Amino acid sequence: MRVFAALLVLGLAAPQLAPDLGAQLQDPEIRAPAPAFTLPDTEGGEHSLTDYAGEWVVLEWLNYGCPFVQKHYGSGNMQKLQAEYGQKGVIWLSVVSSAPGEQGYYVASEMAAMNEANGNQAEAVLLDPEGNVGRAYGARTTPQMYVIDPEGTLLYNGAIDDRPSSRLSDIDGAHNYLVQALSEAMAGNPVSQPTTQPYGCSVKYN
Amino acid sequence: MRFLKRDFRQRLNATSSVGLMASAGLFSFLGLAGAPDLVSGQEFNSPQSDAFLVSEVSSIQAGTPFTVAVRFEMNPGWHNYFPNVGDTGLPTEIDWALPSGFEAGEIHWPVPSQYRSGPLLDYVYSDGLALMVVITPPVDLPAGGNVTIEANVEWLICEALCDPDFAEVSLELPVTEGTPGLDPRWADLFQTARARLPKSVPSWTANADLTEGGYTLSIQSSDENLSVPDSVYFFSWDAGVVEPAAAQVMVAEGGSLTLELARSAYATETAATLRGILKAEDGSSWSAEEMVSGLLVETAVEGVPPPQEAGSAADPSATALSGAAQAGGSEGFTLTLALVFAFLGGILLNLMPCVFPILSLKILGAASQGGEDRVQVRNQGVLFALGVILAFLALAGLLIALRAGGNQLGWGFQLQSPTFVAFMAALFFAIGLNLMGLFEVGAALTRIGGRIGESGSPGESLASGVLATFIATPCTAPFMGAALGFALTRSIPETLLIFGFLGFGMALPYLILSLAPGLLEKLPRPGPWMETLRHVMAFPMFATVIWLIWVFGQQTGIGGATYLLSALLFVTSAGWMVGRWQRTDKRSGIVARAVSLVMWAIAIGLVARGAAQEAPLMAVTEGWTPYSQAEVDRTLAEGTPVFLDFTAAWCLTCQVNERVVLDTDDVQQAFQDRNVALFKADWTRYDPEITEALEALGRSGVPVYVLYRGGSGSEPYILPALLTEQIVLDALEEVLSP
Repeated sequence: MRVFAALLVLGLAAPQLAPDLGAQLQDPEIRAPAPAFTLPDTEGGEHSLTDYAGEWVVLEWLNYGCPFVQKHYGSGNMQKLQAEYGQKGVIWLSVVSSAPGEQGYYVASEMAAMNEANGNQAEAVLLDPEGNVGRAYGARTTPQMYVIDPEGTLLYNGAIDDRPSSRLSDIDGAHNYLVQALSEAMAGNPVSQPTTQPYGCSVKYN
Repeated sequence: MRFLKRDFRQRLNATSSVGLMASAGLFSFLGLAGAPDLVSGQEFNSPQSDAFLVSEVSSIQAGTPFTVAVRFEMNPGWHNYFPNVGDTGLPTEIDWALPSGFEAGEIHWPVPSQYRSGPLLDYVYSDGLALMVVITPPVDLPAGGNVTIEANVEWLICEALCDPDFAEVSLELPVTEGTPGLDPRWADLFQTARARLPKSVPSWTANADLTEGGYTLSIQSSDENLSVPDSVYFFSWDAGVVEPAAAQVMVAEGGSLTLELARSAYATETAATLRGILKAEDGSSWSAEEMVSGLLVETAVEGVPPPQEAGSAADPSATALSGAAQAGGSEGFTLTLALVFAFLGGILLNLMPCVFPILSLKILGAASQGGEDRVQVRNQGVLFALGVILAFLALAGLLIALRAGGNQLGWGFQLQSPTFVAFMAALFFAIGLNLMGLFEVGAALTRIGGRIGESGSPGESLASGVLATFIATPCTAPFMGAALGFALTRSIPETLLIFGFLGFGMALPYLILSLAPGLLEKLPRPGPWMETLRHVMAFPMFATVIWLIWVFGQQTGIGGATYLLSALLFVTSAGWMVGRWQRTDKRSGIVARAVSLVMWAIAIGLVARGAAQEAPLMAVTEGWTPYSQAEVDRTLAEGTPVFLDFTAAWCLTCQVNERVVLDTDDVQQAFQDRNVALFKADWTRYDPEITEALEALGRSGVPVYVLYRGGSGSEPYILPALLTEQIVLDALEEVLSP
């Protein structure tokens, strides 16, 4: 009978093994507080959403290796938007959620060089190699855009525009959802299309 | 520039002719000044894929439609996209340049596949894809000449990374007077392409309903020969309707199937129509005549049973169950009666199939104590009883705590955890090996864990009582169900009291055995026969292991079960190592024990892997509909009698009742004769809806069998936990006779 006690001890002493649920995407609610985050930039600084309380914030998911991102950087479209809204006091943060070894991942110094080469005009390019912030925002594609108001409320989540393609020629004449959301929101109006189906490369999560 | 190498090499390796393209791609990728516009697909030709245009006919005729196909060649592992791409990607586009008067139809998209990357899911096609299009030449096309059909094809070719790709394809075909002949070169290609198309099958009808989180898609077959596949996936044609990566929970039965579809995170409005392809993922066909792997579905989304109203008092049919159930539960049931029931249930628990191995071990224990000091025997009996009662109290405490945390749990809840089931299997298997004499554990662990294992020590008797209780949990004995259901509605002290009585009932037979010396003396004297008995008692242990593996397999599929079986292999080797070297010198004994601990660790790792597996969704047995309260309410409202079977794979009593009584021809025939709708609520895995329904009936565990007459205000008639054919037939007679 002593085998009972002995084995029971073994069985109970076994560590609690929670199955790995896999890293699922969260889908943040529109018109609800945007998920908080703190991420490093390429210059050794750190940025939290709370740092920008009282400011309008744009989040742009970025992967320089992705043809869809290249469409918007190769044409100068993204840099133009970054500069334009930067002047209006909007905090534009590019977020890179590519995992180490995946497309679009660079260590901080290399990322800084890439930003330079691409003429990125964002306030900062944030590094999210673990993908935690990407998952918290439900980021699926690069590019994918988010608008957060000065109260920290998420107002837009979706595509940059309505032309899902990697063709440069599709930038002219596209209806830019980000511009629409920002213009409406900053004028004090509700965002007419708060979510749109994003298009682009998959975010290269680990 | 280290970061460039990876991309560069990857493209170089792909084919020989990409050097130029690779550097071109890199230029634009870097955004260097003066780099040509190579980003747009028109200039960038990916080495990963190519497209060609082929025709089914070798000549064409004025006014006679013919089929062409854009055929794709892709490197292994690469894919392009369905019109609804899923989470990421781009649909393939064909832009036709046809001679005047020619018309091209829509693309005939074949059934796509799922491509998973991290948390994302895309809808894709791999190598060999042929997109068929019907082209109609003008009726006044003169015969004799040749016509050229051209198209610009653009697509995104991806594995982990994506390249835009582009091809200008063309085809020259002679125009003849006579009927076009088939081109034998492409006969196979077109045959394959047609076989891969999704099809409508008239015997299937579809319905769609709105749910809180999205939609339910149900399909029914009017053809008795058709059964639903074991595994399906719904590809919506339209983007922004269904969330691609969300699990599509399927409930199937004979000729019908219900699929839960989560609403897309980017849905802008509720879809009025669900359109798409229901793919059989197990290689089965939707049609009896031909192979149809993808069923074309298009159905209006009807009915608005929003979540709050479904269970509220506003819906009279929904309250029928819960309202009436209270009568069967709390009312008319006093604490005294609950205690008596718990006590009786505890005694009867000893006769339940899952407690049998424990019974065998206790007999063995009693036999080995035959010659021992009577006081010691009595003490051990008391301690065993104490162990049982304490374990029941601990279980009740845990249950109360978890329920306070908002979990919908009931009796036997721990067996809903695959990890728990697997550890029980490993434990039983090890006990079986030990009984067979492969190894002796006691001495070894006594030194490690203090003096727990000392022969007849208080700790050991107590622990064996605890173990007996854990093993007993899957069984609900007669009387127990009502008592436990009642217990969970009471205050904490009363709950604990009822559980304690249950434990007392279970321990009573042993208590009597150890307290009545006359009984013990009837047992034969210890001797060599005990060794044989010990070996024989290993067999019920192994039988229990089979059952536990089966339960685990129900929860985690054949893959999970294989992990568990592999874990048992390591348990065996751990036992063997200890047994082989424990009688030799001290040092090798210690080494063997250390190695065996590693083996245990590996076994634990395997169990964890196995427990993380998801079982393919089970098809419910023929004749039974999977339980849903809404469906039950609807059926009752129609005046149809309903029989509810609350069951679980780990509940042996349930399995026995189903096989021996409910699924027999006689009982099934009786159900049919009286037009009873049969519903099965499978509680094998945690399910809050079923837990709630059980509670509404005043129960907290399975099995529970309920019969309703149907029509308005029909009361639940709860059948006993142990069924016989006669009990079921009598109940039918009593409840359903006019």
